[in-house]
Amino acid sequence: MSKQVHRTLSESQVTAISEELNEPDWLRELRLDALQSLDELEFPDVIQTPGRTWTDLSKLDFEALVDPEGALEQKERVAPEGVEVLSFAEALEAHESLVREHFGSVVDPQENYLTALQTALFTTGTVIYVPEGVEAQAATIRTTMAGQSLFNYTLIIAEQSSSVTILERQETAEEGEFDERYYSGIVELVAGENSYVQYGSLQDLTENTYNYGLKRADTDTYATANWIDCNVGSRLTKTSVETVLSGEASESQIVGAFYGHDDQHFDVDARVWHENEHTTADLVTRGVIDDEARSVYEGVQDVGREAWNTSSYQRENTLMLSDESEADASPKLIINNHDTEASHSATVGQVDEEDLFYMKSRSVDEHLAKNMLVSGFFVPVLEEIEVEELREDLNGRIQDRLAQRTA
Amino acid sequence: MAQLEIKNLHAKVNEDGGEEILNGVDLVVNSGEIHALMGPNGSGKSTTAKVIAGHPAYEVTDGQVLIHLDDDEFGDEEVPEDLQTWELLELEPNERAALGVFLGFQYPAEIEGVTMVNFLRTALNAKLDEREELFGGDESEDDEDDEAGYETSPMEGAADEGEIGVAEFQQLLKEKMEQLDMDEAFAQRYLNAGFSGGEKKQNEVLQAAILEPSVAVLDEIDSGLDIDRLQDVATGINALRDEQGAGILQITHYQRILDYVEPDHVHIMLDGEVVMSGDADLSVKLEEKGYDWVREEVYGTA
Ligand SMILES: Nc1ncnc2c1ncn2[C@@H]1O[C@H](COP(=O)(O)OP(=O)(O)OP(=O)(O)O)[C@@H](O)[C@H]1O
Ligand SMILES: [Mg+2]
Repeated sequence: MSKQVHRTLSESQVTAISEELNEPDWLRELRLDALQSLDELEFPDVIQTPGRTWTDLSKLDFEALVDPEGALEQKERVAPEGVEVLSFAEALEAHESLVREHFGSVVDPQENYLTALQTALFTTGTVIYVPEGVEAQAATIRTTMAGQSLFNYTLIIAEQSSSVTILERQETAEEGEFDERYYSGIVELVAGENSYVQYGSLQDLTENTYNYGLKRADTDTYATANWIDCNVGSRLTKTSVETVLSGEASESQIVGAFYGHDDQHFDVDARVWHENEHTTADLVTRGVIDDEARSVYEGVQDVGREAWNTSSYQRENTLMLSDESEADASPKLIINNHDTEASHSATVGQVDEEDLFYMKSRSVDEHLAKNMLVSGFFVPVLEEIEVEELREDLNGRIQDRLAQRTA
Repeated sequence: MAQLEIKNLHAKVNEDGGEEILNGVDLVVNSGEIHALMGPNGSGKSTTAKVIAGHPAYEVTDGQVLIHLDDDEFGDEEVPEDLQTWELLELEPNERAALGVFLGFQYPAEIEGVTMVNFLRTALNAKLDEREELFGGDESEDDEDDEAGYETSPMEGAADEGEIGVAEFQQLLKEKMEQLDMDEAFAQRYLNAGFSGGEKKQNEVLQAAILEPSVAVLDEIDSGLDIDRLQDVATGINALRDEQGAGILQITHYQRILDYVEPDHVHIMLDGEVVMSGDADLSVKLEEKGYDWVREEVYGTA
């Protein structure tokens, strides 16, 4: 493995980041511990099919990609009434004990090499705090990376019986003088008792950006944590969207959409752990790949021993628009409690010839027919998105892509 | 007046050593005429229809499929003399459709996520664009942008108007749906998705009514229809002929629909050939005597 980046990283660099942000000791310690741990940690799991490792993270030259001092960005945050949408510094100022309690509670900073790297180096982030009983409209965050690399951290705390929808966008500013870039984002979602959160993300980084993302929710009793994860940009994306259904009768929906073209590479995971009784999960992902793009999907539904009366559903469909594109999809269902109603399926295929002929027989040419079929293919995902802005943005990006199609 | 002329059509399944299905089909359908094409299961009726429309599963090994158009076929725009006859076999399916050939499917596709109203308006505009291209109107460059897709959500339809705008189209669709006694709600549903068998067939006739073909080939449009719907569909087919002057080639197994849509000509297909033709009485006779009688008449054996 070539994880050289940490050899060039020093404690003093990490300390400098922490001091610059005026952080409390406990957070600096967390960062330094994470830095220390890099030596022992592995890269996150990637999907392997016989004879093939689809995404080899160890081949990435992190030393060249990551510039701890070059973390420039623009940030927009919009807070709906009743909700605090704060920078990390502001959150530490106003709610230090709350942040301390939850930071790293859902995603262990030392879970893998990339989470530890992110913990050591993150310079920007947002804390969304939805106090008990608040029913809020959409909170939005837009992160535009402007430097070589950026580590962005999002912590969402939804207290008892609160509800909120969140839209977070990741973009890259003008391509600048960088050949390659690195963006890393971790989202921790703490869904309190009887809370409701829908978090939607649109990743639209430039196609010279390597991207790592880990989003995970932990649900209390009767809580609902719903994810919408849209990936359009980046050179390579390794992303995992996960929910730990800890509380009784809690629910999660994980909706994914991706559209790759040229030689983009998407490695997309959706995972849910049923750890309590009466929990429900619904995983729906739809992806399109064109040109020489590659995609690999893994969905995991893990039903724990104590998870009586579980409902768990998973569907994934990848549509390949070119003969040169490649895709793999594996849905996995692990059942340790048989009081479970579950389904799981994944398909990888091309546009249906009969559908195409039907449309052509009504005078629609092949190019337009395919575009309509692709637009229609994403509709089940679009229909799940509550934040109109995200629905329109995603659809806009899909239409842009379709407009670029040459074949 | 248009004419669809099928001459000595031979076709096989489009793969190495693929089965020969059509063995010299001859048929002529003029606009304003209703033809019934009958024949036992597997005799090649649907294949004939699909080959006319250009289905990629079949390879034509011999013969011709021609469409002859009148100079005033498409209303105001005069069709120049040298562009009045087209060899359909050389054209893409969408070009054939633009020239006025419509295929109503025995098993229509279900298209998720594309609403009826959006699809039909796109199809109608695509037909008009395609015609312009085929008949030399060189405005193709403006059209390129339109092809890119929609500006707004596919759930709401295209923002770029095309020749027929949203409002104008909705009015047209509403009228045609009323004529077929179709619930308006279908306009917002996804194309055939979850439609019942009968609803799909009704929808095929609706699409024909909107695209105004010169010749419509309707493959078992009557199968799976209840009595009421059969009458609605029959009304729709008669309207295609009476109001739009379309020629109809109706593939069917049953006399039932022919009582409502009375054919001028009846053809019987056996083993990939039209072996017998007659007037409306032929189908009545066939109903009484069955295909063994046809075989006996044609081959002299039962
Ligand atoms: N794509 C194909 N591949 C292989 N065989 C085919 C294909 N299409 C048609 N056939 C065969 O060709 C023959 C004619 O089929 P076709 O569908 O045209 O019959 P039909 O007259 O429409 O019958 P029906 O009344 O049952 O609808 C059948 O034996 C059928 O199995
Ligand atoms: Mg048939």
